Amino acid sequence: MAKKQVLWFLVALGIGLTACNDNQKESPATGSITIHIRHTVDGNPLITDSLMYTNEAGNHYLINEIQWFISDISLVADDGSNIALDADNSAYYVDTDIPESMRIQAGMPVPAGHYKGIAFTFGLDEANNISNRFVNPPESFMFWPEYLGGGYHYMKLNGKWINEDGLKAPFNFHLGTGQIYAGSDRDILFDFGASSQYLHCEGFHPPQNLSPVVAFVPNYFRVNLTGTDASLIDGGNLELIIEMQVENWFRTPNTYDHNVWGGSIMQQQDALKSASENGHDVFIVKPLN
Amino acid sequence: MSRTRFIFTSAFAIILFVGLSACRDKHEGPAFKPTPYPFEIPFAFPNKLNIPTDNPLTVEGVALGRYLFYDGRLSGRTHADSLMSCSSCHIQSNNFEAGIDHPVFQGGYVHGLSGKQTTHVVLPLVNLVWNSSGYGWNGFIFTNNPITGQRSIEDIVRISVMAEDEMMGDTTRVKALFQQTTGYPALFQAAFGSSNITFRNIERAIAQFVRTLVSADSRFDQYLRGEIQLNQGELNGYVLFTTEEGADCFHCHGGGGNPLFTTHLFYNNGKDTVFDQDIADRYHITGDPMHKGAYKAPTLRNISRGGPFMHDGRFKTLDEVIDFYSHQVRLSPQVDPLMHHVLKGGVQLTDQEKSDLKAFILSLQDNNFLNNPAYGRPEKFPDQ
Ligand code: HEC
Ligand code: HEC
Repeated sequence: MAKKQVLWFLVALGIGLTACNDNQKESPATGSITIHIRHTVDGNPLITDSLMYTNEAGNHYLINEIQWFISDISLVADDGSNIALDADNSAYYVDTDIPESMRIQAGMPVPAGHYKGIAFTFGLDEANNISNRFVNPPESFMFWPEYLGGGYHYMKLNGKWINEDGLKAPFNFHLGTGQIYAGSDRDILFDFGASSQYLHCEGFHPPQNLSPVVAFVPNYFRVNLTGTDASLIDGGNLELIIEMQVENWFRTPNTYDHNVWGGSIMQQQDALKSASENGHDVFIVKPLN
Repeated sequence: MSRTRFIFTSAFAIILFVGLSACRDKHEGPAFKPTPYPFEIPFAFPNKLNIPTDNPLTVEGVALGRYLFYDGRLSGRTHADSLMSCSSCHIQSNNFEAGIDHPVFQGGYVHGLSGKQTTHVVLPLVNLVWNSSGYGWNGFIFTNNPITGQRSIEDIVRISVMAEDEMMGDTTRVKALFQQTTGYPALFQAAFGSSNITFRNIERAIAQFVRTLVSADSRFDQYLRGEIQLNQGELNGYVLFTTEEGADCFHCHGGGGNPLFTTHLFYNNGKDTVFDQDIADRYHITGDPMHKGAYKAPTLRNISRGGPFMHDGRFKTLDEVIDFYSHQVRLSPQVDPLMHHVLKGGVQLTDQEKSDLKAFILSLQDNNFLNNPAYGRPEKFPDQ
């Protein structure tokens, strides 16, 4: 009887172990992905604080720093399906002064396979752009004032340009939620109820030189980049470069002229809009070599 | 074995064991079990704290640190005119600055026991546990500093005790003095497990206390938490503070999304055009010529209790500061791009806007912080 028991035990053990093996075989092949962020101007790595660039409008300019959010990154499979790299509403902060922030290690395992592209949101979409979701610096320093729509700056690109008087004038190319002010020529596009007068924050009244905000406009956009031609093998790590070609923020379709928009644009939806329209060809993807 | 006998034997064994353990404890001194300090993260504040792993906050450590912070014998001396402690320059009711109305340090300019004036005016000790970018006006104290001994608030304690323009003390004398002072050895025992006082443990206790100084209950905080409504002037001021076309302060001094009201970062805010006078600006830390004339943007919490303002104390009042940002900002190659109204000389506020902006900044005054007994001078010192 004892022998019989031992036998049964061995059989059970065998089944158990095989089952275990089978399980491992069936689990899908996955790998991981690392994204390296690069910033370039006219094809060369960004050099900060040096007055060496000229944009499409002819402005001579320098860049002091670039800080921005990239969110909801996904790989695009050959069949066009999107494979999210992280849980929903994930966002990464990138800062030209913080080297570690320019290396993104995606959170979830990615199925092995061939990928033709990558997609992401520049900035933060509505679900992502929630005030006080980032309490820690440096992300918290990106907050976008409540009065202007709340949430966070999508990007702060700070620099200086030589203005029409030949002076080195600061510009803050800050992208985020835009506002429509009462009395602006565009307010006829909206149907305002009486309650929308101070929809941003009850109790707020605009300073003398501002008319009330009557609506907010999100300016984030989705970027779809094809041509990665990248294969991820089981257990492998795919390394890609996402490059921001800074000069393109100022190029097409809108020639962005600092002399027209001035140093600050957080309250100029027209400037924010033309900047985000220019965003369509700012980014490229390439393999790390 | 009968049941009774079993119980008896077991009880005997237990008693023997307990007795022996007690005996062992006596040999090693009482068990050292400090109580973790209950630190609460206020609404919307960062949850990452700058606390070194080798010096966690404990109730006993903080209590000891508070005594030392206020005890004039921290200078290592006992004569009435040579007493000095942190609280000589960092006064609670003045936002832990000396304050412009200080009876000894005229105009708020502090000097050490030697009579030598400090390089810069005092900084407030407010919410420092959330500063990870650098202490001091130029950030010369920071976590990864290659210069060991200039990394933490612990290091600031030693620097203050020894510096000629502060306590001009001798660490050996200081620790010997507290060792001889009734009451202190037992407090060190409770906080650090040894009644043998080391200067390292003096540093650790004071640093713990400084890290507990939290201001998060101003009218503005109450407004953020939805408890009260600000008045119209304060709200107008808040809009001005946080708009580029208004007063444009928020990029460097925070707001609703950064209730520290500072980034703890360094900027040239356009006060000057030449920087020869700046003998300890940010440039002296980084070596980057673009950082000439740059200093830390201090928190604006309780600001009107402190002063004089800016690293060199050039402005006496908040009104002067607001006038400066309105009309006196000056262009230099180093001026920070965030001062983008510089070509107009400033943000050009009207009188009404100035008074609204000021009302908002005053709503950042936290009277519960300025009067919190836990942060104040102890009624009695351990030997009293
Ligand atoms: C003689 C006056 C004086 C005394 C005494 C003094 N301090 Fe200070 N403290 C200053 C001044 C001045 C500064 C600004 C230093 C600088 O950056 O130039 C300062 C800065 C600091 C800072 C940095 C704050 C920040 O925001 O970066 C801390 C922390 C501090 N002191 C803690 C202490 C402690 C703890 C003691 C007691 C051990 C002490 N101080 C004693 C004058 C004093
Ligand atoms: C570009 C960043 C920047 C902006 C924008 C800015 N500040 Fe400052 N602020 C600083 C810096 C840096 C200092 C310290 C400078 C120094 O000590 O030389 C400072 C100092 C101050 C001080 C004195 C603090 C003290 O403890 O001495 C006050 C008050 C102040 N700022 C208020 C404001 C107000 C109000 C606004 C908007 C009108 C504003 N700041 C805009 C960077 C900035």
